Amino acid sequence: MKKQYFLMLGLTIAMYSCAVRKSEPISGQVVDASDPRVKNGQRLYHAYCYKCHPSGETGLGPAVTSKPGFLTRFQARHGMGVMPAFSKDQLSRKDLKDIALYLKKLNKL
Amino acid sequence: MKKGILCLCVIASLAAQTGCYSTRPSRGGGQVAGTPGRQINAADIALPPGYRAEMVSSGLTFPAAATFDDKGNLYVVETGYSYGEVWKEPRLLKLDARGTKTTVATGGRNGPWTSIVYHQGAFYVSEGGALEGGKILMITPDGKQKALVTGLPSTGDHHTDHLVIRDGYIYFGQGTATNSGVVGPDNEAFGWLSRKQDFHDIPCRDIMLTGENFTSENVLTDAPDDVAVTGAFSPFGTPTKAGQVIKGRIPCSGAVMKIPLKGGDPELVAWGFRNPYGLAISPDGRIYVTDNSYDDRGSRPVWGTGDVLWELEEGKWYGFPDFAAGVSMTGKFRVPGKDEIKPLLQQYPGSPPKPVAVFAVHSSANGFDFSGNPAFGYAGSAFVAEFGDMSPGVGKVLAPVGFKVVRVDVKTGVIEDFAVNKGKKNGPASKLGRGGLERPLSVKFSPRGDALYIIDFGVLQMTEAGPKPLDGTGVVWKITKNKKP
Repeated sequence: MKKQYFLMLGLTIAMYSCAVRKSEPISGQVVDASDPRVKNGQRLYHAYCYKCHPSGETGLGPAVTSKPGFLTRFQARHGMGVMPAFSKDQLSRKDLKDIALYLKKLNKL
Repeated sequence: MKKGILCLCVIASLAAQTGCYSTRPSRGGGQVAGTPGRQINAADIALPPGYRAEMVSSGLTFPAAATFDDKGNLYVVETGYSYGEVWKEPRLLKLDARGTKTTVATGGRNGPWTSIVYHQGAFYVSEGGALEGGKILMITPDGKQKALVTGLPSTGDHHTDHLVIRDGYIYFGQGTATNSGVVGPDNEAFGWLSRKQDFHDIPCRDIMLTGENFTSENVLTDAPDDVAVTGAFSPFGTPTKAGQVIKGRIPCSGAVMKIPLKGGDPELVAWGFRNPYGLAISPDGRIYVTDNSYDDRGSRPVWGTGDVLWELEEGKWYGFPDFAAGVSMTGKFRVPGKDEIKPLLQQYPGSPPKPVAVFAVHSSANGFDFSGNPAFGYAGSAFVAEFGDMSPGVGKVLAPVGFKVVRVDVKTGVIEDFAVNKGKKNGPASKLGRGGLERPLSVKFSPRGDALYIIDFGVLQMTEAGPKPLDGTGVVWKITKNKKP
């Protein structure tokens, strides 16, 4: 149990410390959105997430580029703290996966 | 059992990151201790590969917008007014290739001069009108001025904004008086409520109210326990009733209006904006508008609504004061720990359209222009100046937001950074201790479309006493594409 606790603590710290800037002027690249799923994730990210996490960076909310996909999906569906929850009517399971896929690509820049 | 513990750890981990929002301090870009200086170094600006930045002119005081005459000369307007109730002389300046400034015209104590367009031998300038009401001015190259329209409802929070010229008409934006439809103590903090005690938002068409009223400190009296009850679209201290009709009239607030090029009475184009700051015409002739969204301040604070890029559709209503980016605010966008947002209008004049793009909350997406030259790149995309947050006055942010130029694909709504400051963190140059962008307020492409000019307002510090702009810290930057990347 202790091991798992420290693992999660480490994960939390890593998520903060690894949240670096990924936008084109900084990384020199943009996300390749030729994959329709990445393109869909990019579009949805800008419609629902960007305003609080601009370019994946900290804004009104914390940075999101370095979060594992399953945490992104969990948080988007259930909300946490002040973040609103997005219902299945707003974002389907596939949509959430596409957003996580887009963020994974963004994080790799 | 183990899975349960792991699940709890995941939830705890997420809660650790998000649940403590209320206890975390605001870290806005203007929240700088002491007196920030202004270094200037174009090399501190990060751009996509193949582009370069250079400084064109510095030492400007509150520059807001730029234009070019038919010979390709560059002109800039200095506002002559800044939030923080700082009054200067508005100026129209000609900048030569070496950045030398020549004054073409000056204005009175009725700034801010927010916008300038050169058209067929004359300059057209929006005069914000913080004291006497907004105006659209025509200024000849020898400095002679003529007001084409006066008395625009600009003596509140937001002013007469950018203009564009199309088909013989001047289209211009007019901001609202308040944050979200109700005059409150925040308007006294802006500085205008004491001098314009009857001023309030004016609808463009008749509206019927829900009768929602708001009790606040009465900031117009010295009595310590005196309160004021204020309804929507009404003077401070004036309550409203359910079913009450507020007559619409023009000119109105929160609208895009137009006047003939030779001057005349304003006509309504579209309404229901909050602060339609930027207007620009796309290469295919459509007009787009940037709209600054709600703040967490005043009697009806709103949380978490991003600024918007709209396509302008004649006759449409865009949602103020009950919608944000086309979404109803009823039951949403509540400031953490505060009351739910209730509607102010009993019936809606229509359904707001879908936004083209939604910018970061408090980014202050303002003046913009379209790339029309494939040689510069991103042809058809909108380049938008983000002035940057004015936190904590407008609400809390966890890190500086804005302070950059972004480009928007108007077909998809995808926003990509274009010009930002280098470094591990985003923010204005003064906060980062570097020499790049401070507060970009507008952008303008050169007549050939091969260079993007960024008009950088300069340092605006957010202090406990309110906004504090610094004279002489404004800069004009130029971005070009290298011929050989």
